Amino acid sequence: MPSRCVRVAAACWSSNNADERPTCWKLKHNTRKLAIVPTNLLHNNNNRRTQLPTQPQPKCMEVLLGITGKDFTLIAASKAAMRGPTILKATDDKTRQLNDHTLLAFSGEPGDTVQFAEYIQANSQLYSMRNETELSPSALAHFVRGELASSLRSRNPYSVNLLLGGVDPITNKPSLYWLDYLASLAKVPYAAHGYAQYYCLSLLDKHHHPNITLDEGMKLLRLCSDELKRRLPIDFKGLVVKAVTKDGIETKPFDEDEKVVKDT
Amino acid sequence: MADRYSFSLTTFSPSGKLVQIEYALNAVNQGVTALGIKATNGIVLATEKKSSTPLADPSSLSKISLITPNIGMVYSGMGPDYRVLVDRARKVSHTNYKRIYNEYPPTRILVQDVARVMQEATQSGGVRPYGVSLLIAGWDEGILPEEEVEQQQQGKEGEQVPIGEKKSKLAGKTGGILKGGPMLYQVDPSGSYFPWKATAIGKSAATAKTFLEKRYTEGLELEDAVHIALLTLKETIEGEMNGETIEIGIVGPPADHLLGVEGVEGAVGPRFRKLTPQEIEDYLTNL
Amino acid sequence: MSSPFSINGGACVAMVGKDCVAIACDLRLGLQALTVSNNFPKIFQYGDHVFLGLTGLATDVTTVSDLFRYKVNMYRLREERHIAPRTFANLVSSSLYERRFGPWFVSPVVAGLEPKTGKPFICGFDSIGCIDFAKDFIVSGTATDQLFGMCESLWEPNLGPDELFETISQALLNAVDRDALSGWGAHVYIIEKDKVTKRLLKGRQD
Repeated sequence: MPSRCVRVAAACWSSNNADERPTCWKLKHNTRKLAIVPTNLLHNNNNRRTQLPTQPQPKCMEVLLGITGKDFTLIAASKAAMRGPTILKATDDKTRQLNDHTLLAFSGEPGDTVQFAEYIQANSQLYSMRNETELSPSALAHFVRGELASSLRSRNPYSVNLLLGGVDPITNKPSLYWLDYLASLAKVPYAAHGYAQYYCLSLLDKHHHPNITLDEGMKLLRLCSDELKRRLPIDFKGLVVKAVTKDGIETKPFDEDEKVVKDT
Repeated sequence: MADRYSFSLTTFSPSGKLVQIEYALNAVNQGVTALGIKATNGIVLATEKKSSTPLADPSSLSKISLITPNIGMVYSGMGPDYRVLVDRARKVSHTNYKRIYNEYPPTRILVQDVARVMQEATQSGGVRPYGVSLLIAGWDEGILPEEEVEQQQQGKEGEQVPIGEKKSKLAGKTGGILKGGPMLYQVDPSGSYFPWKATAIGKSAATAKTFLEKRYTEGLELEDAVHIALLTLKETIEGEMNGETIEIGIVGPPADHLLGVEGVEGAVGPRFRKLTPQEIEDYLTNL
Repeated sequence: MSSPFSINGGACVAMVGKDCVAIACDLRLGLQALTVSNNFPKIFQYGDHVFLGLTGLATDVTTVSDLFRYKVNMYRLREERHIAPRTFANLVSSSLYERRFGPWFVSPVVAGLEPKTGKPFICGFDSIGCIDFAKDFIVSGTATDQLFGMCESLWEPNLGPDELFETISQALLNAVDRDALSGWGAHVYIIEKDKVTKRLLKGRQD
């Protein structure tokens, strides 16, 4: 063993140009580590809530998809309203229109989702009425994040995952924002929530392009939908698909129950 | 509940004046004269320490106070009001600054904080304005006046501007804080404040200011400023002048002997300090 | 569930050079092992020569960076000057400790040049504001261990701006390649007295 150590040390020195280094160089810095306080110590036992909500991703079976293209943003959401293993409704719409050019899709804890989305919707509409102008998708996304972030450290936080898609009414640029229940915000070209992420993001990585047309976008959604139907163990009852363009928001027909290949 | 019926006592008169503030200024103008002179390398604050009876122990009375190691102040007007303001100034210099940035506030920031306290007393319910004017003197880290001249000369050739300051983008305003060196301010009961080269407040402020106008010169040294301060005080003083009856505070070079410790690397002594009666006597004999 | 510090992943490193400093971060935003975005910068500028790197929980990275933008803007309006890196570091420290019993889950890194003297300044913090002043380098994030290794072997005193860029880039890229939770490109800032250079490194996208 000692001989091996010596060999390693020798290799070290030969690989460095020993003349160029001060002899004490190697000893100068010892390994240091940031003193990160263990998180379990940070959560005290007062009544104050100091721990972040630790439930795993809320409602993973729900499908939310978003794709941006040349001049549009597509948002798709599964139509099944589920409670446990039961499907309560097969024509649920998990989206709310915030204003003429912005659409919010949501999934998560049943009561929270609609409550939060409609709170955002109401505030967005109030803003439009008061100021006779629309908030841009970017402004709305940051507003939503602010609300969700302050909720996160409140006594009962909303447990909602969101996709916010829109087209800027001034620049006509499409945009898509991904938000999770921790209020992480990311501007992305395409996004998904729940288990759909694992199946669709890889598909979109391969096939998405910033300059796709609306038709190509729909084809991409088809691709995602087929994959989900093939792989997800529960029938999510198809997708509601809405397209945001500079002309407004439009529900796109998305074939109801076309059979997908049974055997993979 | 109490708040509902607690109105501001300072209300506008029909002519648009706030008479309470004017009364407060009257209180200041009956106060003992205090003065401040800014030199190139420091500031002097001086006032008379008057006691109504020979039985009082003058060493226990103090009208010039240290606020932070580099800032001190003096007043004219009502002594009790002044002590409240000294407490508040010391407190806000910590809560609003030292405890946030781990350094003491620059003079103008402290002046603004104190001025805010005084202004609030003109607009809040159930209180009266403070019956004092203050002279606040301090030394700020930053570009010293001499360095500034150097820079301007250099700037013409090599554009050697310190980083974080692209050609006086933010500098230039009153006390613009990139400027370092001595700073002297007056704060009034209304909460307004003014920077001065030299000024006086109190009973004989007008006389003292006329005197200072004659004596003040640009490029004054601290020693000369102390001298002028005593001469000005002599013009207006009512009692005898000696180490016991005169109070002087200076902002000068760091006084490392006041640190209380030795050999601590990087420790710098306070720039503000009060002169001892003995030191004042020495200045008086040389007058 | 894993620690809030390692849900989203990310890495940041700052280094001292000769009359210059460098700070670099990766661009990944993830949810555990899943990558959500490859364009999530973690370095923020608060003055001509003051930079803050934030790793940890993504939501807190955004919240805290916005909080300091507010605080520094207010400072600049109040004091009519840019905040100095050391002053900013103390502001970061006191702001984090304000949340001692419900902290922001971030590990900040400050890098900059002192005004007037132009001396390099770097420091790091734990999530409740304990400052770690360093003369050489500071690392933070999920690739902390790897970054320590890389920095210990690559860094040397008195590197010029170009050498420093090479050193910090190599340190970061090679560290994040051995960390599943960070990577996907990097931003590198080289801060010199009269110029700041920002470079985007592509990095591995897998």
